[in-house]
Amino acid sequence: MRLTEALRINQQPAPSNGKRRNVILPCGFTPLHLQTLLKAHLRIRFPEDDTEVAIGLFGDLEGNLARAINQPADGALVPIEWSDVDERLGVRSSAGWSERILEDIVQQGSEKLQRLASSLVALTKQMPVAVIGPTLPLPPLSYLPPSQIGAFELRLRANLLEFLNAICGTGGLRLASDSALALRSPVAARHDVKFDLVAGFPYSVAHADAVAAVGVECLFPPAPKKGLITDVDDTLWSGILGDVGIEGVSWCLDQHSQIYAVYQQLLASLAESGVLVGIASKNDPQLLKQALGRTDLLLREQHVFPVEASWSAKSEAVGRILQAWNIGADAVVFVDDSPMELAEVGEKYPAMECLRFPSDDPAGALELVYKLRQRFGKSEVRDEDRIRLQSLRQQAFLQNEQSTEAPADFLARLQAKLTFDFSRQGTDSRAFELVNKTNQFNLNGRRYTESDWAAYFQRPGAFLLTASYEDRFGPLGKIAVLLGRSRTDEVDIDAWVMSCRAFSRHIEFQTLLQIFRRFGASRLSFAFQKTDRNGPLQEFFAQFAPELPERDLVVSARTFDATSPQLFHEVIQRADNEQHS
Amino acid sequence: MNNIRETLTECFSLVFPELPKDRIPSASIDNVKEWDSVAQINLLTVIGERFGIEIDYLAFVGASSFEAIASQLAETI
Repeated sequence: MRLTEALRINQQPAPSNGKRRNVILPCGFTPLHLQTLLKAHLRIRFPEDDTEVAIGLFGDLEGNLARAINQPADGALVPIEWSDVDERLGVRSSAGWSERILEDIVQQGSEKLQRLASSLVALTKQMPVAVIGPTLPLPPLSYLPPSQIGAFELRLRANLLEFLNAICGTGGLRLASDSALALRSPVAARHDVKFDLVAGFPYSVAHADAVAAVGVECLFPPAPKKGLITDVDDTLWSGILGDVGIEGVSWCLDQHSQIYAVYQQLLASLAESGVLVGIASKNDPQLLKQALGRTDLLLREQHVFPVEASWSAKSEAVGRILQAWNIGADAVVFVDDSPMELAEVGEKYPAMECLRFPSDDPAGALELVYKLRQRFGKSEVRDEDRIRLQSLRQQAFLQNEQSTEAPADFLARLQAKLTFDFSRQGTDSRAFELVNKTNQFNLNGRRYTESDWAAYFQRPGAFLLTASYEDRFGPLGKIAVLLGRSRTDEVDIDAWVMSCRAFSRHIEFQTLLQIFRRFGASRLSFAFQKTDRNGPLQEFFAQFAPELPERDLVVSARTFDATSPQLFHEVIQRADNEQHS
Repeated sequence: MNNIRETLTECFSLVFPELPKDRIPSASIDNVKEWDSVAQINLLTVIGERFGIEIDYLAFVGASSFEAIASQLAETI
């Protein structure tokens, strides 16, 4: 994006009912075009919001970070250049490049990076933070020709790596990838020396654009897709199974089909990070089952659920997979080598992204692999992600068993164990994620930014309740989240979500029972709002109020007791590191 | 020259969106309060992009009015 385009975007009036989104750019140099371009990229990312970018003081990255901590904002993008580590590492300095000075730079730089690490970690307590850099090359300070690297630069880089390693993994802090930036901004075209010397702004416009784009992607990553449905013939492997047989399909260097091995490894890796992977194939089911049982397949059987093999339309198989996963088409990517199949599925499910596996073009296939990683990439993998596929399989098995006996008898035999964690802090990232992605059992559909979430826990009486579930079929992990505020005799419930994997186990009743008991409340006041998608929650509430209002609902302890079915869960309550059974 | 003035007017509109179009030809650093050093760099960058030329910022240091920039551009292009 050029500056002209960025200014045009920024001049578009913001929607009058939009949210105000404040982002801090606490850099040590003059932000100039970076500020303009960052605002434009934020406007593109959040077209409904009114965006503002606040900046700091020139040459004072540390001070800017310290001041940012007290500034309410939705996030901070922190570009760090070598001149922020030590100003003598920039071309604006005239301090000299003698060996004594270089030694001092290494020493002082190390201490500065340690202070920056502390400031950044402190800032993440207030808002999400993305760190990027250093992105500019070092000036040729040492006696070595620029084609060589020596002890001075290696020690600087070692200190930098130590710093990055120290802050990496801090909750709410994301490090921008050098490689992603290099793809958009070649190193040689990054530094605008004239601008740097005239205005203290070291970036070319093109580089500022790349930093802003990568920074926004890091700071506000789009919600990852949840499921991938793949074809098999000439997609998961080379060859048509029905023609060449089980041993005839391949994914190896010898057969010039290694790119399929790359795709299989990606799918296995996605599955291990909690992505649902299903197969939709026009094949003989028995033959496909045998082929998927090949021991050299890199995508293992446990990575895939379900496998839909038939001769009917692909869209029908895709429909059955969506039903098994119980997720919307907009959260799913479909991959097939056939443009016809892609078009047929795309027509039935317009919200689903349909991508062609270019079986005749290894470079294109590798590009697809990158694209899929982009769609499914996530900042962290939680326990719930690892067990998602297993619990879906259990759900299918459970539904099958449940249909053969009375519900109460079945639930009594489940050996269900519910663990409730009460907290006065909002540090649970899985809870934050669940509230922001659950649609069906959702009190009001409200989404929270990280700063909204942090601010909620400053309110009087605010608490977070999470519920984890397991039964004889295995664990489901953390499946329910409730945000509330306790008062003398009443609890206000502002958010309540439950994963659809946990339906039909009366967990919702047990959750409310625990709230009544823990706070001794005589009634619960729900910030309920009907939405197009929260039908399951509406059905649950209709048991207490058959004439369900459009918004807000109060449930008394007496009504709850009269309505609640018999509950069979073993309950564990935890709060402030205490445990009560 | 007319083309230069027309495109330059668009550049001014982008950098100074609050400035009425009829005031642009008489705009100068003295009568546009938003015209500070940052705005000057933004303006010259946008001019470089719109005219497809490499701007020598130092050569434009004294160009602090619409007329002065238009004249300088006429010499450059």
